[in-house]
Amino acid sequence: MKTPALLAPGGTLEMARVAVDEGADIVYVGPLGWSRRPYESEMTDEDIRAAIFYARENGRQVRIVLNTFPSPFEMDDFARKVQLYAGWGASGFIVTDPGAIRLIRGLVPDTLIHVSIGSGVTNSWDAEFYREIGADVIILPYRWGETEIAETRCVSGIGLEVFLFETVQTGKICPGKCIMSSYLKFREWLDIEGKATSGSANRGAKECYRVCQTNWDFAAEDGDPVKLKLRRDARLMLEQLPAFVELGVECFKISGRERPVPMIRDLVRFYRKALDGIAAGQTDMSVYVDELATLRGRWTVEKRKRVDVLMDRAEHYSDAAPSLAVAQ
Amino acid sequence: MFELSTNVASPQQLRRGDFSAYDALYLGEFSCLSYPNNFCAHPEFLAEAVAQVYELGKKAYLRLFAVPSNHDLPTVRKVIETALALPFDGFEVHNLGLLQMLKEMGNTKPIHLGVFGNLYTDATARVVKDYGVTRVYPNPELSLDEAIYIRDNTPIDVLIPVHGKIPLVVAETCFIHENSGGLPGEDCKFKCSQEHWLTRSSGDWSLKDTGCMTLSGADLCMLEHVDRLAAAKLNAFYVQSHGESPEYIAKVGRIYRDAFTRAFAGEAEGDVAPLLEELSGLAKMGLCNGYYFGDAGRRYVGRT
Repeated sequence: MKTPALLAPGGTLEMARVAVDEGADIVYVGPLGWSRRPYESEMTDEDIRAAIFYARENGRQVRIVLNTFPSPFEMDDFARKVQLYAGWGASGFIVTDPGAIRLIRGLVPDTLIHVSIGSGVTNSWDAEFYREIGADVIILPYRWGETEIAETRCVSGIGLEVFLFETVQTGKICPGKCIMSSYLKFREWLDIEGKATSGSANRGAKECYRVCQTNWDFAAEDGDPVKLKLRRDARLMLEQLPAFVELGVECFKISGRERPVPMIRDLVRFYRKALDGIAAGQTDMSVYVDELATLRGRWTVEKRKRVDVLMDRAEHYSDAAPSLAVAQ
Repeated sequence: MFELSTNVASPQQLRRGDFSAYDALYLGEFSCLSYPNNFCAHPEFLAEAVAQVYELGKKAYLRLFAVPSNHDLPTVRKVIETALALPFDGFEVHNLGLLQMLKEMGNTKPIHLGVFGNLYTDATARVVKDYGVTRVYPNPELSLDEAIYIRDNTPIDVLIPVHGKIPLVVAETCFIHENSGGLPGEDCKFKCSQEHWLTRSSGDWSLKDTGCMTLSGADLCMLEHVDRLAAAKLNAFYVQSHGESPEYIAKVGRIYRDAFTRAFAGEAEGDVAPLLEELSGLAKMGLCNGYYFGDAGRRYVGRT
């Protein structure tokens, strides 16, 4: 059985280095304005270059997250970025826009292209579409389990990647199919590297404001309102890993470029141990239960903090701009 | 000269509605297969529907379900197989896997990429053209200038929504069912037949929810910009009418048909204030200009 790769976030240069040190096979980093994250979780080109060099020195790889839906007016800049990072030794890209996938394949024929969660995949035929236009690996929807993975294996030869967290089967979870944030709030930014962005996180504006996480009253025309939120928290995954590995999942991805470095350090260390154990024949994941419980607790606390920060920004978005960006 | 279209979910709506102002109808409710008698899920209704639309002298496009899981694909495939043997003028597809499926099924009908197809770039327009796409509904976040750029730099036409609520979110689960005590897998009680609204508890944001789809609270309204759209040589316009009354569909269609007819004939637009007032009266949460002018979708920019 082929040992799958562990992908870890590099929200900062420090985080990227820590992820490499702890055993991530691949670190993913996002350039300012091109990767659906706030400025503090994206990197300058200078830091990206340093992250690539550090990973390569240690026999690891870096994927560049270029998963915004660019404006048609940005495609030349997009192409320049791709060539720049490939020239520095980035081994692949994480992308959403189908046109961008084909563009990258043309520019850097031997690079590895991952399809981002923002592509909004819902079935196995989607995977085959992306394989046909040039992608190598596709990240599977949060709610998929063994059945869907096996079905996709039958339909498409594309590589499969899963997030290392699981989510509930109800509620609105629609990555790549939601523009609620920019309907309600809109802001234009000019990054220090000169990229002007506007609109939703889909397009590279600095953040999705998580407006779905606000408190809502939900009511029918003639009914009393029910108080609710639209999304529910995900939690770290573990029990499914041996079966997923058996089914041929090639990459396991830790999310969290915006989380604290110590949290990422401990997650990489934990999942490295779990994946290495599976490779050595360990299929009973109960040995990790206590450790997982602690990590799940920390994960939930950090996630809540993050939502609070984004909601606060939505409330005060006309205030002074953060240090890495200038509000226009 | 131009095509004005809207959507019709079921045979009942097709029979009940006054579509005289429209040139083409998109048949089917793309966000929910359980929607009663949805053309997207009932191949047995398609032959009569397409005949009925042709009797009205209009084009008929068949919508396919926007978020099909593997479990839904047999139903969708059956709908496609039936439609391929009927004189539909094309399919509307939101899901790229279905583009792949249509190609493998040997489809030769034109395909329109729907709003949840996430068309943001001219580069993607060129990709989907290889799968038979001839028209795209650009993601609503695109500005008018970006939509026109895509039209001008690809061999693909663009559909420009001019009125109605903006589709913002589509999900694979039904929010109304879940929040009215329904259990997963339990039969749908069609509670979405009543309007449902999400209002921020502090009261400043409202969105319409149809269960699997969340729409803008305000109605997109481009009446004040009809001259500009015609001058840009755009020619495919759309009124989003899911969940709206037959009166709404007929009135809005008539207002835009008259406005576009005048604009394409080179006649001055005149005072649109009374018509705007009429459209405002039909919109429960006011009017907006969407993202066309580079602003948050809910804002109304107007002419200035």
